[in-house]
Amino acid sequence: MTGRAAVATVVVLAALVAFGATTENTYYLSVGYSIFLYVALASSWNVMSGFTGYTSFGHVAFYGVGAYTAAILMFDHFWSWPPAFLAGGLAAALLAAAIGWPCLRLKGPYFAISMLGIAEVLRIVGLTWESVTYGGTGIPLLSALSLRGFYFLMGGIALAAVGVALAVARTRFGLRLLALREDEIGAETMGINTTAHKLAAFVLSAVIPGIAGGIDASRVGFIEPISTFNVFITIQMIIMTMFGGRATVLGPVIGAVVLSVVREALWARYPYDYQALFGVLIIVLVLFMPEGVMGVVQARRRAAKVAAP
Amino acid sequence: MSGPILEVRDVRKRFGGLEALAGPSFDVPEGAIVGLIGPNGSGKSTLFDCITGTQRLDGGEVRFAGRRISGLAPYQIARRGVGRTFQLGRLFGRLSVLENLLAVRGPLEGRRAEARAHELIELVGLTRVTHELAANLSYGQSKLLEFIRALMLDPILVLLDEPAAGVNPTLLERIVGYVRGLRDRGVTVLVVEHNMGFIMGLCDQVVVLDHGEKIAEGPPQEIREDERVIEAYFGR
Repeated sequence: MTGRAAVATVVVLAALVAFGATTENTYYLSVGYSIFLYVALASSWNVMSGFTGYTSFGHVAFYGVGAYTAAILMFDHFWSWPPAFLAGGLAAALLAAAIGWPCLRLKGPYFAISMLGIAEVLRIVGLTWESVTYGGTGIPLLSALSLRGFYFLMGGIALAAVGVALAVARTRFGLRLLALREDEIGAETMGINTTAHKLAAFVLSAVIPGIAGGIDASRVGFIEPISTFNVFITIQMIIMTMFGGRATVLGPVIGAVVLSVVREALWARYPYDYQALFGVLIIVLVLFMPEGVMGVVQARRRAAKVAAP
Repeated sequence: MSGPILEVRDVRKRFGGLEALAGPSFDVPEGAIVGLIGPNGSGKSTLFDCITGTQRLDGGEVRFAGRRISGLAPYQIARRGVGRTFQLGRLFGRLSVLENLLAVRGPLEGRRAEARAHELIELVGLTRVTHELAANLSYGQSKLLEFIRALMLDPILVLLDEPAAGVNPTLLERIVGYVRGLRDRGVTVLVVEHNMGFIMGLCDQVVVLDHGEKIAEGPPQEIREDERVIEAYFGR
């Protein structure tokens, strides 16, 4: 990290902490919380799909399984929130390992579709396995923390997600994920165990959504399968990452911040049409900026580097 | 030259009704440059795929340094010291030249891998494009990058699939020099090439495939005059 980037990071973090600690405006706190949630989700999605090119259309599965794991542990087994949330992350990781083993052998669109299917299956399991999930009735939860508490907890989770993405981007592990995205046979022939790399990235990309799912369940105070395994959550992870720039650390953060704000603004004014408006906005952006905001920045940086070696 | 570093034994591979490899056997002596020639579709690239693990064998076996490698995953074979280039190139397009080399999981890691990468980039004269994306390289430059990327594995054996195809005479000369340089460092080379001048001038030994079978094997001068080879190439 350059000196300027480090200073900027510290300033932004300090501002977010100061804001969270002092503001009495619950709307701003809840918008902040929601931005953090999507920074965490989009950054995690990016670790798998941005870096390896294996687009997951079902990442909400990990959020949902985390939410249900935490909710059931707290509601039925009276766990306190910290171990319950962590258990949600663990459950998501185990699910990723179990799905990844067979599904990561599928290439390109087949993987994307299999993930979409898995998220749908989980929604239906949530609806029908009533003895465990309470089906469509849902599970009511006591709010584990105050709104301010949730703001800081999710902020920490978002920070952890960005930290994971940074660690991936800065290491040979991340470079090898990019290599296999570019040419899997080429990567394998160059000594890279592509299956192990994909599986590791997949599990890594599932943990934080799992934890975030549990936190969000507790924050909302109620979960049921349809809103928990909602495909719109996955779509947002994808769109935010694409908007900001895939396979970059800052891309999903930029995407989550900008598009969460846009979503809030649209949602307030056009409560019924905001998803459609959101969609149109995305089409325009993808057409004119396919590699996202960071794609433009990176192209400039590279041009400068090539010109002045 | 000592014993064989690579032993190809009765290797068989079918694609549906097509018998791509019908059981050729040959040895590649350690430290030699061995040419693998044959008409298009004779099974040369498939044989490379079978040696490097990209394709599974239907029969026979491949032994490297005395141990069976057929059945291992490509990355395992690569880590034992088998490097390879591809006929059509399999570079990591949206990674820079330097990143293409650093992505390789060879015996060197960290700073030592970086030093080696810069050394190789300099060796083949790609310094100016170190940070350029591989996708933006010229054809000749990408051939060179493929070549040095395989060397990041610090290989004992290198398989080159048409390293001279479509390159200009000056570059061809340089590639010949690099391959000789490899041999001088004790690296064994198995090379597929259609350029007969390249094969005849460079190889100690030539293996000829036709329709997935070995039809001849021997020193270049002998191969040049072999009846079956002439027939396979030019028809009767």
